[in-house]
Amino acid sequence: MPDKSKPTIALTGATGFLGSHLMASLLSKGYKIIVLGRSVKDESLYERISRLLKWFGIEKCLRLITCIETDLSLDNLGIENTEYLYLCSIVDSVIHCASDTSFSENKREKVMAANINNLKGILEFSKNAHVGFFHYISTAYVAGSGITYCKEIPSTAKSFTNVYEESKATAENIISGFCQKNSINLSIIRPSIVYGDSQSGRSLKFNALYFPVRSAQTIRDIYLNDLHNNGGLKAAKNGIFIDKDGYLFLPLKIYLPHEGDLNIIPVDYFVNATIKIIENSSESGIYHLTNENPTTMKIVAKYYEQLMKVRGVEIIYGSLPHNALRNPPEELFDRFIEPYRPYLSDSRVFDKTNANLATDNLKPPGFTFDIFKTCMEYAISVNWGASIFE
Amino acid sequence: MKNNLNESDKSNLPYETARNCRHYAMCKIDFLGSGVCSSGLEKHFVSYYPQGRMILYEALAEDKIQITEKCVQIADSCNLCGKCDYQCYFLNEMRPTKVMEALKNHVETFVKNGGKIKIPQKDRILTEIQKIVGADWATNDEAITATYSHDLSAISDPKFPDYIVMPDSKEEIVSLVKLFIKENIQYTIRGNGQNLLGFAVNEGVIVDLNRMKSIDFDEKNWLVKIGPGVAAFDLQKQAQKRGYRINAAEPAALLCANIMCSGIMSTFSTTYGINADNFINAEFIDKEGSVFNLNDISSPNLYSYKNLQHNESPGICVSASIRLHPVTNDEKGILVPFENLNSALDFIRDCSVRHIGLALGVVGAEYISTFLSPTKKMSAEIKSIFIDKLNIPWLVVVIGDKYAINTITEMGFPFFDQNLFTSLYLGLPSLKKADWLDLVKELSDDEPYSYLKIKSFAELFETALSPSAALYAKEVDPELRPFFEKLFSGKEMTDLVWLNMYRIMSTRLGRKNPFLPALIYLPIDNNLIIELSEKFRLIAEKHQVDHDFGFITPIDNGKRCIFEYDFFYNYNDKDDIQRIRNVAAEANMLIDDYSVRTGTVKGHPYVLYQGFCRKENLLYS
Repeated sequence: MPDKSKPTIALTGATGFLGSHLMASLLSKGYKIIVLGRSVKDESLYERISRLLKWFGIEKCLRLITCIETDLSLDNLGIENTEYLYLCSIVDSVIHCASDTSFSENKREKVMAANINNLKGILEFSKNAHVGFFHYISTAYVAGSGITYCKEIPSTAKSFTNVYEESKATAENIISGFCQKNSINLSIIRPSIVYGDSQSGRSLKFNALYFPVRSAQTIRDIYLNDLHNNGGLKAAKNGIFIDKDGYLFLPLKIYLPHEGDLNIIPVDYFVNATIKIIENSSESGIYHLTNENPTTMKIVAKYYEQLMKVRGVEIIYGSLPHNALRNPPEELFDRFIEPYRPYLSDSRVFDKTNANLATDNLKPPGFTFDIFKTCMEYAISVNWGASIFE
Repeated sequence: MKNNLNESDKSNLPYETARNCRHYAMCKIDFLGSGVCSSGLEKHFVSYYPQGRMILYEALAEDKIQITEKCVQIADSCNLCGKCDYQCYFLNEMRPTKVMEALKNHVETFVKNGGKIKIPQKDRILTEIQKIVGADWATNDEAITATYSHDLSAISDPKFPDYIVMPDSKEEIVSLVKLFIKENIQYTIRGNGQNLLGFAVNEGVIVDLNRMKSIDFDEKNWLVKIGPGVAAFDLQKQAQKRGYRINAAEPAALLCANIMCSGIMSTFSTTYGINADNFINAEFIDKEGSVFNLNDISSPNLYSYKNLQHNESPGICVSASIRLHPVTNDEKGILVPFENLNSALDFIRDCSVRHIGLALGVVGAEYISTFLSPTKKMSAEIKSIFIDKLNIPWLVVVIGDKYAINTITEMGFPFFDQNLFTSLYLGLPSLKKADWLDLVKELSDDEPYSYLKIKSFAELFETALSPSAALYAKEVDPELRPFFEKLFSGKEMTDLVWLNMYRIMSTRLGRKNPFLPALIYLPIDNNLIIELSEKFRLIAEKHQVDHDFGFITPIDNGKRCIFEYDFFYNYNDKDDIQRIRNVAAEANMLIDDYSVRTGTVKGHPYVLYQGFCRKENLLYS
């Protein structure tokens, strides 16, 4: 049953990774959700949401959801005026989670359109609906590059690692200005890198943390196949072999520019902390949902070796020597992880004063082998997302 | 005993195979190095090749002819060597040997049971013809005439000629033409029946030029003089042996007929040209039976071009001097992938204008996956991998010397080089199962296909796909595997240069179904090409006909291109034939409309019988 004391929330990005987990949790807590989204190809928004709720095992909550097919780039969200006005009359707050998370400079136009141009529609709607709160899901990395201590304050960064960070920082500024002008309370929630559920391993998206692991697994499988089925000549050429313990020795030197951390949080922490912020905040604020005890790639590499029965993975801090000879797996792996490299040895420290206060000091778990194992085994079981809904 | 096959025979595999013969004449050339049907080489009539026996079996099954003297000979002359299985399976996944067996069994049983063999009546006309060409080379036996009732075109109705004649010389043809004029006999000249519009079938006399296979190289003058029975594949083979190349169209097409009908075009037309660019001289016999030489000042001006449909044939081309082109030992083929047709067109225009590469062609995922795959089923799977997993809906085939390839590298385009292509081709079965393709797609996020620029990608790709002739051969019928393994162990079948210069890459395109191409000459104007593609698509969808983009090759320094769009159909389905006729009519109207509106678009039907024209007259007048 919907809890009438709880506000009705309009949610964008409900079919994405963070948005869907947030939606599922809000529904379980009795919130009534208005999902603003799009149909994709032949699948309507309603069908997409139904499919997701089934995956979360909460199909019964479908009745708590109203799906409205909208286009954030159009006036009135692209819907009929009467429907728009009705929506304005029932929505109490907005969570804007929709985002294009591509890092690719090639996709700058698309990323900017999704993350900045589309703000106008949802902000105008928030104003017209006189919402009490606008919650914006941003990223901790709006801090930009070249900074070491990142406070929970508006970003003034000028240089970013990629277009995604840049677009989110710009969006934060636009939203802040708009909300201030229109007296709308604003919470900006800035998670670091989010992986799957720390208990079950379940996840809807398998990039970021997963990508280097998946890349290494792919390279491992290619050479295991060569060793098992094709005589292993190619493997031998690159010093790859199966050692006496049955482990694959795969020389993989991963160069990271300097020592640093990998700041990752599980999606269950993201969801619980975000809901606490939504429920506890009475005024505008910026919140870092980051890990005060970040892991490192050395630890991830160790976990990877243990789980995948591989040896030879080496994390080296420093520049790749000019005359270094890279074997094919290393060359491919370098290319695989290139977009993520800045996050793999990050020296930034994130202030969490606001977040700790608003979340009753809720902390993300440390990244243990068990969590790694649970998450990766789930990822492999759904073929890195390819068979997630099968 | 019944002369024809019974109803149960008609539902069997041999009959189904026979009636699906593409009439592509590929069983007449040795494109797989497996040899050619020995009886065909000896007797020359198409009837003694697998294609002829397929038509013969179909005609018997449908009670169109009776068992005749020649029918018994034709059936008997097949030694069931199985070469046609290799050839036809490679092209169409069909095995004609079952048809050959069924034909032999049927005829043998008929003879054994005392069936009455029909003896054709020799008439006055046949006697006169035989006086000219000899008794062995002219016949009215319906087992022979029936096999000339089809050509490559399936939209025209089959026609049964009265006589088939195979002259051996220009003089014999002159005598024949004079006889036909005197006796008022309709005659049709036939090469290998490769035209797509049904012009090689007719009533009256069919003059098959397949005995006139002379090839005389004049290397000092960079030409080779050929008889009208020489197929493109065979001439290319001879030219290659001597270190030259010709511009060759369909491998089984006879070059003289090809030039006569519409001119030679291939991906090499980018540099070798089209129409009059491809020959130096030709010799004809006109309608009165007089010989003329194209370069004589008093000869008809076949270099001109009239923008008219239904042109009349200028006569019978009895020889042509074909241009030879130099070959360097550093030629290589590459495949450059593109996310959209626009970028692919920009690329070929740029290359063509800057004279980069010898041969250029834009092809779609359907084209490349059909060629690479040994079976229809696999082709569909590979097409979806190209589009969905590799994000390669378009590819440009480039053949060039090392300077051309280096230039393309310098231009920053990632590509599949020859090594990667070989791995891709022979590792295709592994590609179907490759989970890692999703990762490769993600690697393209920042720059499309940038993984192809990784130095050791080729090695990893090869390690991942474990390509081998044996792996590839596993996809074909078990009985044919040893042959295919041997075939793909050789270099030719995976060599992009060889595959393009012999035009083998396009030979599997009709495997799923025969197709009718819409061929157009037009500027490389992206909007125009995309608009026309879209309109062809709409025409096909309106008539519920399967369709796909064929290819685009730039010509004349990028000022124009040849564009082919293909419509597929089942020619054993009368409704489908009617649909394809409607599609052809609408497509031609569309081309006519664009021709008038733009003043630059030329439809291929207009070139018919004007293949000897100067390309400038065709393209710019």
